Amino acid sequence: MTSIALRNLGARKLRTFLTSLAVVLGVMMVAGTYVLTDTIDQSFGKIFAEGNRGIDAVITSKEAVETDDGQEPSFDESVLARVRGTDGVAKAEGGIFDPTVSILDKDGEPIGGNGAPTFGASAVPEPFDALKYVEGGKPSSADQVVIDKQTAGRGDYSVGDRIKVVGKESAKEYELAGIATLGDVDSFGGASIAVFTFDEARRVTRKQGKLDQISIAAAEGVSPAELKRRLSQALPKSVEVETGTENTASQKEDVGEFIGFLKTALLIFAGVALFVAAFLIFNTFSITVAQRTREFAMLRTLGANRRQLVVSVVIEALVIGLIASVLGLFAGIGFAPAINALFQALEVDLPNEGTVIAARTIVVALVIGVGLTVLASLIPALRITRVPPVAGLREGAVLETPRSGRRRTAIATVLTGLGVVAMLLGVFGVLSPGEAWVGVGAGAIFIGVALLSPRLVRPMASLVGRPVERFRGVAGRLARENAVRNPGRTASTAAALMIGLALVSFVAIFAAGLRGSIDAAFDKTIQGDLIVTNKDGFSDISLEVTKAIEGIDGVAVASPGRFTQANVAGEKGSYVTLVDPETVTEVQTLDWEEGDDSLLSGLGPRDAVADEKWAEKEKLEVGDTFKTGVSNGETLTYTVRGTFVDRADFNGDFVASDANAAAYGEPNSVQQVLVGLEEGASAGAVQKEIDRLAGSAFPTIEVRSQQEFKDFIGEEINQLLGVVYALLALAVIVSLFGIVNTLALSIHERTRELGLLRAVGMSRRQVRRVIRWESVITAAIGAVLGSVLGVIFAVIMSRPLADEGFVLSIPVGTLIVLLLLALIAGVLAAIGPARRASRLDVLDALAYE
Amino acid sequence: MNASEPIVRATDLRRRFGEGDTAVDALDGVSVELPKGHFTAVMGPSGSGKSTLLHILAGLDQPTSGSVIVDGTEIAGLDDKHLTELRRDKVGFVFQFYNLLPVLSAEENIRLPLSIAGRKPDEQLMKQLVDAVNLGDRLSHRPSELSGGQQQRVAIARALVSKPAVVFADEPTGNLDSTSSEEVLTLLRRAVDDFGQTVVMVTHDANAAAIADRVLVLVDGKIVKDAAAGSAEQVYDLLKVETTA
Repeated sequence: MTSIALRNLGARKLRTFLTSLAVVLGVMMVAGTYVLTDTIDQSFGKIFAEGNRGIDAVITSKEAVETDDGQEPSFDESVLARVRGTDGVAKAEGGIFDPTVSILDKDGEPIGGNGAPTFGASAVPEPFDALKYVEGGKPSSADQVVIDKQTAGRGDYSVGDRIKVVGKESAKEYELAGIATLGDVDSFGGASIAVFTFDEARRVTRKQGKLDQISIAAAEGVSPAELKRRLSQALPKSVEVETGTENTASQKEDVGEFIGFLKTALLIFAGVALFVAAFLIFNTFSITVAQRTREFAMLRTLGANRRQLVVSVVIEALVIGLIASVLGLFAGIGFAPAINALFQALEVDLPNEGTVIAARTIVVALVIGVGLTVLASLIPALRITRVPPVAGLREGAVLETPRSGRRRTAIATVLTGLGVVAMLLGVFGVLSPGEAWVGVGAGAIFIGVALLSPRLVRPMASLVGRPVERFRGVAGRLARENAVRNPGRTASTAAALMIGLALVSFVAIFAAGLRGSIDAAFDKTIQGDLIVTNKDGFSDISLEVTKAIEGIDGVAVASPGRFTQANVAGEKGSYVTLVDPETVTEVQTLDWEEGDDSLLSGLGPRDAVADEKWAEKEKLEVGDTFKTGVSNGETLTYTVRGTFVDRADFNGDFVASDANAAAYGEPNSVQQVLVGLEEGASAGAVQKEIDRLAGSAFPTIEVRSQQEFKDFIGEEINQLLGVVYALLALAVIVSLFGIVNTLALSIHERTRELGLLRAVGMSRRQVRRVIRWESVITAAIGAVLGSVLGVIFAVIMSRPLADEGFVLSIPVGTLIVLLLLALIAGVLAAIGPARRASRLDVLDALAYE
Repeated sequence: MNASEPIVRATDLRRRFGEGDTAVDALDGVSVELPKGHFTAVMGPSGSGKSTLLHILAGLDQPTSGSVIVDGTEIAGLDDKHLTELRRDKVGFVFQFYNLLPVLSAEENIRLPLSIAGRKPDEQLMKQLVDAVNLGDRLSHRPSELSGGQQQRVAIARALVSKPAVVFADEPTGNLDSTSSEEVLTLLRRAVDDFGQTVVMVTHDANAAAIADRVLVLVDGKIVKDAAAGSAEQVYDLLKVETTA
């Protein structure tokens, strides 16, 4: 029986190939994800280990508040003296390591993009210097700087060039004294680094009297653990003592969280592709098992038992799964750089040197690929058991598809209902983890709708097919009839496309809603004429910018805003907006629930106004106080003075005065400056002046009008959307293979009919048309179902956000474009099968049995 | 058209299958003229080349050499596009296994060639055909709901609907019981008598051939007999001579 299974695969190469391809793509994505994230993980590991070479213990500031941007506060330089005074310390050096500088290229634009920071660091004396100077050497004066090799390459810099770097002070021109790598690693994890002399580093980062890190070597005979113990006793609680190894590990842990998130996100997309592939496998096996009814019956008459037949089909699946998984694994290794390129398109630069293929990657790829294929083939395989031996003697016997219609509908309806419930419970956080339940719910809905859809095929084919028929005559009519001829087959083929389209349209709808909501909230609360931020929209800019802008003619007010984090009631990472009470009301208002703008202008150092949702969650009412742990380790006690509705979460959890900016670790940097103009002043002229500032002293800033800023945010959302689309494209491609496969198999079944059509005078072109329109009708069914599900998903997922002002808007234009694209995809999927059908030799086709 | 001009004229047709040692000449120099309005039966043992002849005359297959003129058009060497047009406009074909499209109703199957050509049916002819097919209320049924004889009658009507120059029937009764065969043959005869069609039918069955005007007998790719049909017995005699020859 095994050899029959293998011969079957060999005899039906195209089908085997297309079925495999679906699995290959799914496995490729899984394997690619693992390879990429493992490689990134290992590269970071190497980088951190390299950075800590020769270091027995490290002192850093205790991270009082875990922030999203990973910035750590500095500590006082007095710590260094105490370290040096501790018994067992052979050598200790303090250093500056600040992630808020920018290296400019020759056009004055910052090098490097979103995500990866540029560090301004002090040159570290031996033996702690992890840098290897591939060209030149250490900076020896305040006018010299060393940068990393990658950045030098990007900016096309070589030693001796003039190069501008900007930190918290205005930009300054240096001589490039050297180009460095981190040991043997070229990359700093995608980050850039500018190394100054110690004093210059402090000036650039405004960290006079401060240190970010102390590197320590132990005296002979003192173990790192012992050294750590002694230091911990000697030093204040505000600093963290770690051995070199621990420090490497904790740094890895920090990025590990991000890599983990990345991995999960990518695996979700891989899961979607695999889910679609499962549909395709199921469908292909269903069709081929039905087509081979006579063959199976014949084998039964020859004495094969049911189990042998089932096993032969499962073996087929096993072989397909195995071959496809192996191919997928290799494809995945090649695919990893492609995913990375996708991130680079988003300007997220992650280190990946070498290729890490973990045993886990291989095992998971094979298990998933083989398991999925076999599982999806099981139900069709079990159908064989219903073939009576006598079927082999009947002309054209075809296995009846099970007609337990009512039960099927009932199951499908219940499944869909449960899916919706699971999604809702997940969305509202009743069940946790919410994301997982949403996923399970969506999967159940997909399967439920796929099971229901055979009933929808006929009406939908009519809906789509009638105009085609009017327009294309008999070809359209035949296309429509062929599409509804085997509703189950058409339904599951369309269902595969439905999944991809549902997700794509959901994302499109959600993004449109997000944009609309942000725009609305923006219009409601932001009154400043101009908005100045970092070019990337969120990174730090110098506080000096505010003063410089205030000095421009026509500017009435420049109000600085800081977005930072703090720990409220022990809970980590509450989002805080710090505003300047004196100026803020000129450029910004809040959507007040309790209170008015006078609260903002009268905001004392211990006053806060809270997002009403957050206040509710924290059980805070106006007049209540709450304790906030901030970056420098202090605890501030705030009194709630008012509450506001925060439509697009512009202002985080609460708004407070920037009087305490230093305690939050943000004395010299801001994230946004809102500019109000004097009556009659020309916005264009002021904007030009600020642009001039950007061209000289503060190259990282960008000034935008309200509309420009909204467009910028929209652009950012679109970029993210593009990446999501690209990742979902794989699932859509897999579903197109499904259409190709089903068409090819159906054509095979209808060879004789096609011969007849040709014999009675149908041209090749007309035959192609019949196939093409069948494909288009199938695609249209999938697309329509998908769009509808996409809308439903968007409605469900946006429910909890509705209170926060999320306005669901259906981007009808986008959905129509998606629909058209799906139809075009249908046309493309039909090209191969249609060509095959039209090339059939008329006589052979008629003689075909 | 000149009435004396044959509607189909084949000259020295040869058709070779395969190459080298295994090559078989299915047709070995066949010349024949089929006048308009005649019913011709083509007979012969299995492998005599009668189906091949039919396929080539109908434009379904191409001769290795020789010439075929159908209604004034030389079809040997025509490209696929023109062959398709020939099949569509000048030839009707009836198959042994009916070959109706299962997704279309009986009436739609009859109209199919016109739909493909994008032409309006001659409603009067359509009405006559529907009467002749005699399906009654089953006209709107799908082929799977019709008997074999009914399906074959639909297939004949389909072959006639486009008013072709010639109708070819390949063993049209080969899959039918005697009653159904009788109905089908009667319909073919009416096609000639009432509709003025030219019909060429390949058959094994002497009883079927007897309904024709003329019988051609093929053996080993050559025409060995060309005679008036007469009764079934006379047809048998023609075949006997052929087998002993």
